[in-house]
Amino acid sequence: MSHHHAVAPKPADDPAFTMPAMLSGLSLPLCVVGLIALVGGTFLGSSAVGGRFGMSAYLTAYMYAMTIAIGAMFFVLIQHLVRAGWSVVVRRVAELIMIMVVPLAVLFIPIGWAVWTGSLYVWTDAAGYQAEHHIPADAWAEKIRWLNPQWFTLRACVYLGVYCLIGCWYYSKSQRQDQTGEVTLTESMQARGGPAIILFALCTSLLAADWVMSLAPMWFSTMFGVYIFAGSILSAHCAIALLSFVLQKQGAMRDEVTIEHYHDLGKLIHGFVCFWAYIAFSQYMLIWYANIPEETVWFFTRYPGFSEDFGPISIALMVLHFGVPFLGIMSRHVRRTPWAVAAWATYILVLHFVDLYWAIMPEATVGSGGAMGVLASVLTVLGMVCLMLGLIVIVGARTRLIPVRDPRLAESLAFENI
Amino acid sequence: MSTPKTPPKAVDDDNVVHGVVAEFTDVSSLLAACERVRDAGYTKADAFAPFPVHGIDKALGIKPTVLPWIALAAGGIGTCTALAMQIWMNGIDYQYIISGKPFISLPASIPVAFELTILFASFATFFGMWALNGLPRFSNPIFTSPRFDRATDDTFFLFLDAKDNRFDEAGAKSFLADLGGDFIEVVKEDDSPKSIPKFLLIGLALLISFSLIPALLVARMRVTKSTSPRIHIFPDMDFSPAKDMQQTSTLFADGRAMRPDVPGTVHRGEMIWDLDFQTGIELEKLAQTDAPRVRRLVAMVQSDVEVGGDEQAADAADAGEETSSEPAEEASSDGESDEDANPTALTPAAGPEVDTTPWLSENPLPLTDAVLRRGQTMFGVYCSTCHGMNGNGDGLVNRRAQRILATTWTPPSNLHDETLFEDAYPDGKLFSTISNGIRKMPGYRAQIGAEDRWAIVAYVRALQASQDATLEDVPEAQRATIEKEQTDVKAALEKAAAEAEAKAKESST
Repeated sequence: MSHHHAVAPKPADDPAFTMPAMLSGLSLPLCVVGLIALVGGTFLGSSAVGGRFGMSAYLTAYMYAMTIAIGAMFFVLIQHLVRAGWSVVVRRVAELIMIMVVPLAVLFIPIGWAVWTGSLYVWTDAAGYQAEHHIPADAWAEKIRWLNPQWFTLRACVYLGVYCLIGCWYYSKSQRQDQTGEVTLTESMQARGGPAIILFALCTSLLAADWVMSLAPMWFSTMFGVYIFAGSILSAHCAIALLSFVLQKQGAMRDEVTIEHYHDLGKLIHGFVCFWAYIAFSQYMLIWYANIPEETVWFFTRYPGFSEDFGPISIALMVLHFGVPFLGIMSRHVRRTPWAVAAWATYILVLHFVDLYWAIMPEATVGSGGAMGVLASVLTVLGMVCLMLGLIVIVGARTRLIPVRDPRLAESLAFENI
Repeated sequence: MSTPKTPPKAVDDDNVVHGVVAEFTDVSSLLAACERVRDAGYTKADAFAPFPVHGIDKALGIKPTVLPWIALAAGGIGTCTALAMQIWMNGIDYQYIISGKPFISLPASIPVAFELTILFASFATFFGMWALNGLPRFSNPIFTSPRFDRATDDTFFLFLDAKDNRFDEAGAKSFLADLGGDFIEVVKEDDSPKSIPKFLLIGLALLISFSLIPALLVARMRVTKSTSPRIHIFPDMDFSPAKDMQQTSTLFADGRAMRPDVPGTVHRGEMIWDLDFQTGIELEKLAQTDAPRVRRLVAMVQSDVEVGGDEQAADAADAGEETSSEPAEEASSDGESDEDANPTALTPAAGPEVDTTPWLSENPLPLTDAVLRRGQTMFGVYCSTCHGMNGNGDGLVNRRAQRILATTWTPPSNLHDETLFEDAYPDGKLFSTISNGIRKMPGYRAQIGAEDRWAIVAYVRALQASQDATLEDVPEAQRATIEKEQTDVKAALEKAAAEAEAKAKESST
């Protein structure tokens, strides 16, 4: 039943705002199992398929977690920027996902190591790659000015530094407000939302070019940064909805996150499903139309007529990443059914992995690496997800699950769509 | 329309009850009242508030609207319309190659499909909302209540419609009072004229009239003759800056506006790899006996642009024709550096009468009606001037040459000569002659495409067959008509002869 009156927030130390005991107990096993699967999957890929494959699988898993974390960061920033009231009750969940950029900064070390040892990006073997692909010396010299281990590492440090800075600053301010309830904290978070989002956009698009697009060093698409961002913001909304649902199932914040919030998350998920398709198609259509070999080559390696492994995925992404969820989350009844929103969120989170797998793995080898390759890829990403979930639970156990003294909490609690 | 009619029922209307309205002071009492109205079984009730009230649909028992379904259906229709339109326009009705893509090409259609989906869906949503709400509506009887103005300001209203089955005036009044409503008031049916206000109609008429002016001006211009030059609204579209053939351009160093083909490229549709098709010779077989000649032929076909008279004459001589030495001499005098193409070097040592070239004995084109008609057209354009329309060698050029007694003229062959029949003169050889020329006849390789040359070969064979045909060659079904034509002609001739005879007799007597 809909409530017509403003809901009074529960006291800040209400047990509904603490991490459910069942999840807290799982945190350590999740971390351990996740780490084992992550390392095991990477080594399985390296040993069973080949050196570059293992690290590519690791990169896929890493990008999977990273895109969701920075998508959640975007969610937090944009809610502050537009001074949104509805989202306050799910903002702490978003902040918990966002703060994962700190452990992810540490998990970047294997990728940095791979750049220096030449086991992931083909451009690290500059002379060999140029000779093998008959790239004109002047063109290659320009590429190498950007793609060299020193400059790459420095840039990666800057991106991760910016993310950690934004993430930690917003997280700590939000934490402090839980204690003090200062309105000025909200004001300063809003004021810094604009500059932070500019920095965020700059880092995200360059990151996409550096970490994913440079896997095919001669290929370029100015749309690629937005493409990665589109998948990132979509999956972040799904992760927020799914995590909220799981926490509610375990007894936390049951009265706070209502159908109305799921309805709004569902609307945003539906919108970003369209946004992802729009960006993906824009990128494809311009390249398809211009038909310039150095641009089409990237799609050619993923073309149904060319690659038996990745061609079907290209088709499947159109149908499963756009068509099915577009119709599936279109209905208001679905969006107002929390378990259905959670189910669709899970579905899209799976497809987000397929999307990144499709973007990254074809550059590792010509095929999927057979059954062992698929196993290694899936194992790695599952490991990464378990590790991240474990860490989220550990961090979440040390805080409250909603921003209990946010000045807009009452507004969020009373939020209604119609 | 000019005299406003007084509604005959005006007096009655004053007494017709439209419904009962009650005021509420706050949202919660309005919502509570709505819920009780719903629970009491009223279906035709309405609530008015100065701002949107959450949950009021549910409180009033209003069913979810079908508008989303209308929007979805219209969106789907938009997608299908856009796709069908583009497939029809560019794929079927007016095929036009754009950027080398297939005529029916889905990626190129997506943007338009996307736009039309949104356009149709938003139009359907907007106008569907109007239709579902019974809009446009100029007035509502409830506006006659002076207190109702505050519905947009600070007061909440609940209205029970008289059309509801449960409605009776006294009952409704007491029910509303029971619910806590104040100032319960009976709303009478609106007695204002039902017709659309005159100024609106006049305004609309004026608007339509003004909008017709441009169309009328255009229509008038279309039927009026004028000596003044036409107005160029888009001069850069009427006068294209594109260059015509043979014009000069300062854009390129060589000053030519026509650009030569880029080396290593082939015109669209001209990528014919089959060299036998291009030469009329089975090159595999020829290679076993005369490899250098094959190399020359291949080089000639592949560098078609640079082909001059040398190779043509050379190949013609090569073909073992009994030629006068004229073209060969001409060729060698013209030939500047192309030693390979020297016809004397090409002439087989065995002498011209033995032709060992493995000519293609069959036309590689399928002999369809279309091919023969194409051959007929091309024959009419290029060959008939000399060889005549029926191929007997008596074309206009030949007649003229005979009349002026041109000394250097070599009469064209009669194509119905036995030496040019299929058994003596294979299709491939005929093709080669058309391509490279013979005696006075120039080669037509540059003017006529290889496929059209083969079509001419096919047509020449048909011509030859037609001139030597007997009645048995005609399909049985059509023999009767021909026989009838023959007897008709015979009868006509006999009749004419008889008449002429009679006339002669008459004049002699």
